[in-house]
Amino acid sequence: MANLLWLQGGACSGNTMSFLNAEEPSACDLVTDFGINVLWHPSLGVELGDNLQRLLNDCVSGKTPLDIFVFEGSVVNAPNGTGEWNRFAGKPMKQWVKALSGVATFVVAIGDCATWGGIPATAPNPSESQGLQFLKRNHGGFLGKEFRSKAGLPVINIPGCPAHPDWITQIVVAVATGRGGEIGLDELQRPKTFFQSFTQTGCTRNMHFAYKVSATEFGQRKGCLYYDLGCRGPMTHSPCNRILWNRQSSKTRSGMPCLGCTEPEFPFFDLAPGTVFKTQTVMGIPKDLPTGVDKKGYIALTGAAKNAAPAWAEQDMFIV
Amino acid sequence: MRPEEEDRLLEKIRHLLESGLKTQTEPFPETHIEFARILDELRALPQEDLRAKLVIGGFTHTPYGPDQMRCLECMYYLVHRKWCDLPELAVPVEPDWWCRLWRI
Repeated sequence: MANLLWLQGGACSGNTMSFLNAEEPSACDLVTDFGINVLWHPSLGVELGDNLQRLLNDCVSGKTPLDIFVFEGSVVNAPNGTGEWNRFAGKPMKQWVKALSGVATFVVAIGDCATWGGIPATAPNPSESQGLQFLKRNHGGFLGKEFRSKAGLPVINIPGCPAHPDWITQIVVAVATGRGGEIGLDELQRPKTFFQSFTQTGCTRNMHFAYKVSATEFGQRKGCLYYDLGCRGPMTHSPCNRILWNRQSSKTRSGMPCLGCTEPEFPFFDLAPGTVFKTQTVMGIPKDLPTGVDKKGYIALTGAAKNAAPAWAEQDMFIV
Repeated sequence: MRPEEEDRLLEKIRHLLESGLKTQTEPFPETHIEFARILDELRALPQEDLRAKLVIGGFTHTPYGPDQMRCLECMYYLVHRKWCDLPELAVPVEPDWWCRLWRI
């Protein structure tokens, strides 16, 4: 039996909704098949008021062992570092986060807000939001970069806006079943099993990417969304085209550009007008090239690819 | 558009460009914001106003600039159809032509 506690800071509940939609395994499977005891969750917990405070204090004191502390949403520090804008169970949420992280065997940050600060931390960041161990790409965050949970691991970051349901439940199961130490993390503390590949990996438009055929409108079946519509699939680490959403599809498969929501800079360009769903260019060349590709190589590749493009690459191949 | 219509339109554009139609090749839109402004101008045109489309687009019937940019390398160019797939232009073009909405 592993005790799990889930709290929510500066959040929209999107990751909770995602979690409750998990299928492999489902939220119920966590309890029935994997022996996870959900001590409390904002949408599932029944304790309120004094009872909830008692439950939390028992975790902090060690009376109730806390195996997995899951945090969703940003750590709100406003106003002036007090955290009073986000009070919970009698005190600023940030105080609960500090205390519970100190006693938990594993700490898991779910979603962009908990990992990097997310949308609440977008400039000018009025809520003084931070992620648990990062603020955007800067290591540190609320808990500091030296933080380690009792298991000796840093915060396990599962980013996304929201995170895919199965990324959440599969990591929780790994931790609860004693395999937490086997989770390899990348430099941003994301599980490599999910975040080593790119969103582009498995995209049905890869042939159009290769032959440099651009989609020019949302929902088009042909064409790559990177060249014109601001898709960040070639620069974003996520398995969105390997572990499909609702087991059916992904944004890029359905003709919508990837927004890069698993990367610390999301939302990119601070949501300045004209930057969303539009590839940013300088002198006709994309500002952000596919990871690992330089400008000279990109130009050379484009010329060669256009020259070699077969006729079918220009046509709609997904016929209903 | 049927292939024969595309061919006729291509010839018409070729004729306009070769007979010296003065188009706005400069300024080249250095950023997406300037690019978007040109698109706005194109969207405001009557659909049948081919000449204005070529002028605002800055079409040339030769490669352009020190880098000899041309349609062939542009993102919007469909090689086999010889077609500019940018919705605001949507015209047949030759691979050695160029316009200032060129993107790679």
